[in-house]
Amino acid sequence: MIGRRHGAGLPVGMLVLVLLPLILMPIAAVFVFAFGGGPGEFLKALRTEDAQFALRFSLLIAFLTAAINAVLGTWAAYVLAKHRFRGERPLAIAINLPVAIPTVVVGTSLLLLWGPIGLFGKLLEPLGLQPMFTPAGVLLAHLFVTFPYMLGSVKPLLDELEVTYEEASYTLGAGRWQTFRYVILPALKGGLFSGTLLTFAHSLGEFGATVMVSGNLRLRTQTAPLYIFAQFEAGKVAQANAVAAVLAALSFVIFFFLLRYSGKERL
Amino acid sequence: MSIRLDQLAKSFDSLRVVKTTSLEVEDSELFVLLGASGSGKSTILRLIAGLSAPDSGRIWLHGRDVTDLQPQERGIGFVFQNYSIFRHMSVAENIEFPLKIRKVSRSKREERREQLLDLVGLGGLGNRYAHQLSGGQQQRVALARALVHEPSVLLLDEPFGALDVKIRGQLRRNLKEIQRQLRVTAILVTHDQEEAFELADRVGLMERGELLEVGEPEALYAHPRTLFGATFLGAGTVLVGRAKNGAAKLGSLSLPIPPEVEHEEDARVRVLVRPEQVALSAGAAGAAGDEPPEGNLLGHGTIVEQSFLGALRRVRVRLPAIPGTRQASPAVYGEESLLMDAVIPAGEDPGGFEVWVSLKGWHILAPPRPRLLACDFPGEGSPAPFSLLRGFEGSLNARVSLLSVTDKVDRVAALRASQTERAASHGLPDAEPVVRKGDPVDEIAAEQVQSLYDFLVLSMPEKGQGEILPGVLSALSTPLLAVQGEPDSFSRILICTAVGEPGKADVRVGGWLARRLGAEVTLLHVLVDGGGPAPWVKAHLDAGLATLRGLEVTSRTVLRPARAAVQGILDEAKEGGHDLIVLGRHAASRSGGRVRRHDFSFEILAGSGKSVLIVPPGQ
Repeated sequence: MIGRRHGAGLPVGMLVLVLLPLILMPIAAVFVFAFGGGPGEFLKALRTEDAQFALRFSLLIAFLTAAINAVLGTWAAYVLAKHRFRGERPLAIAINLPVAIPTVVVGTSLLLLWGPIGLFGKLLEPLGLQPMFTPAGVLLAHLFVTFPYMLGSVKPLLDELEVTYEEASYTLGAGRWQTFRYVILPALKGGLFSGTLLTFAHSLGEFGATVMVSGNLRLRTQTAPLYIFAQFEAGKVAQANAVAAVLAALSFVIFFFLLRYSGKERL
Repeated sequence: MSIRLDQLAKSFDSLRVVKTTSLEVEDSELFVLLGASGSGKSTILRLIAGLSAPDSGRIWLHGRDVTDLQPQERGIGFVFQNYSIFRHMSVAENIEFPLKIRKVSRSKREERREQLLDLVGLGGLGNRYAHQLSGGQQQRVALARALVHEPSVLLLDEPFGALDVKIRGQLRRNLKEIQRQLRVTAILVTHDQEEAFELADRVGLMERGELLEVGEPEALYAHPRTLFGATFLGAGTVLVGRAKNGAAKLGSLSLPIPPEVEHEEDARVRVLVRPEQVALSAGAAGAAGDEPPEGNLLGHGTIVEQSFLGALRRVRVRLPAIPGTRQASPAVYGEESLLMDAVIPAGEDPGGFEVWVSLKGWHILAPPRPRLLACDFPGEGSPAPFSLLRGFEGSLNARVSLLSVTDKVDRVAALRASQTERAASHGLPDAEPVVRKGDPVDEIAAEQVQSLYDFLVLSMPEKGQGEILPGVLSALSTPLLAVQGEPDSFSRILICTAVGEPGKADVRVGGWLARRLGAEVTLLHVLVDGGGPAPWVKAHLDAGLATLRGLEVTSRTVLRPARAAVQGILDEAKEGGHDLIVLGRHAASRSGGRVRRHDFSFEILAGSGKSVLIVPPGQ
């Protein structure tokens, strides 16, 4: 007989002890150090032009990435779930690969492709288009890196949807678009929501690919994570901590929403 | 006419799921398509709904050709087996969905929704969601949703399949009421015979993509045409006897064959006996005082099994073998004895284990469609004779199977696919592909034995006899039509009774073919010895002529002197302009099971250049 509650104190205590320096303390540390100089210092650090730009730029990119990948990912999931074709599995694997590739590697390959001497870059150069080291380049990298999140949230829902769901809608008089709009899309609501939030959160924190393709240009392509890194390197720990605290807080909010939503779904 | 299907056909990959099918459903009729799973019944429903496109044929709904329309343009209602209630919508929203799509005003929508909820008996449950409803309730919602936009046609695909028996019965009665009330034309698909009988105005019976029989439930039960119809709908025993003087002979019992049932003298006749048509009376055979009962006595048997069914008791009786009679259903293997099922009121006692079995009623089935097995070996220079097969499919109402043989396992699927395509391109879309793996000669022999065919068809390669024919002949169990040239039918048939034992089989098979093709028959005997015909020859020819006249075939006899039998046959075929020569095949032309190259049949084939029908004995 193994009692569920009996003697739980020891193992739980040990777990907390191990996790304390690993996970719990670092989380707290962000805020402790950010507010180390008092709220005045914290606000001052946030008010600098560079910090303001980095936070706004990061939010904008995360917003665009989430919006574009919401559409792109849903579409990809719909096509993959609905059609059976040769090479379906390899394609599905390739699409999901961005989660597995180190983001720095993604950055390098994007540079090789879109950079001034890259395959596309060479063609775009004469037209005066140069996506690398610009906000467009950052967006491109974020779209790539976060693409699988939307797909991963929506595709299982589509796979679960009975084929007859769509057919029922047709027989009731709805056309293709109406069926998608009124029958399929509402059924995907949960996946769309969590997928978009996940994409947003990952874009907000993206570092590896961004550092490669952005050139880390302040007031031009510097995202919040890049700003934090740059400030740290320059020894301005307080500046770095202030932005880090804001990023952490944002992540908590998103995480909280995800948790609540998935909790509701389970009801 | 609400629904008209005209020559509809559908294949998936190489599988012919719906063979060329035509059907008409009357206004406000409830038509039930009944068949086992995989019989193609659901596919027909999906074709009507537009969820799947036919390979050929047209679909008409209320006089409108909808074949090329999208499902949403067809004005139908469809109920799926799994209900497919939209989970994110409430019951009310589900029911209003078709109206919302059609931009019906909100007040109208609500009014109609309430009407439908009441109609299906779900009043007051509009705010629920699918997961808050039972299966039966969900199916009611699905029905209401399919009817709310007043479709011209209601299609139901196994609507009660996922429900338990009690709810099923209740929903069935509701459905019938609603359908009557709204007078909507409906097609319901089911595998449940009881459901079909209870609901249907008419039933269409499907088997392997073919609509076998259509009729009112009672008529189908009492007078099925096919063996499948007889056995799929209700219980019963099918006995096979022979036709003699307008009656089916089952041992000493003679059951008159009604004039509307086509039959031929001496041909096999199938008799269906339903359990309620079997009368049992106690008594031991041969015992003093135990006289067999009067009227339609089949025989004496012993009770082997009894089961209590509530109001009735089912009794199974075993009868010893009856000469000239065998059982086609229920299938009994390796036994000569017959098993008859009877039902008697549960309170009655059959009175002992030995009983007399007599028939209170019976039904004679129509003769089955003839089946042709055509070898299609284009690689060996022996492709199937498609023009003849097309002709036979029409004039004989035959089912054609196309046999191909490969020695590679991995080629089987591809071969089956190409076979189907090949058949379709030659105007035989409904031909059944049969692909076997191994040696052609062995596989032809095996296929003949495993399935019952009426003819084996093989074209002769242009150069020589090919390697196959000798082997095929040595293991022949089915009449073999060796085709030369490209005939599409035969009009002058020469039946040779020239050598060896005169066979009845060749006359019967040749006559059977002649009757259906409308061909003339010449019955030939070659006089080799120069003298007059022996008395037995005369008698045999007269008997043959009588058989042919009985078949209403124009026929005559010819006695032809010649130096050799083969020469006589070849001369007669040439002079008489015959296009088919029928040869009896008997033990004499075999030697040790192997067929020699200079076999009689080969000489006729090579010498005449005409098609030859070789009939093995015992047909």
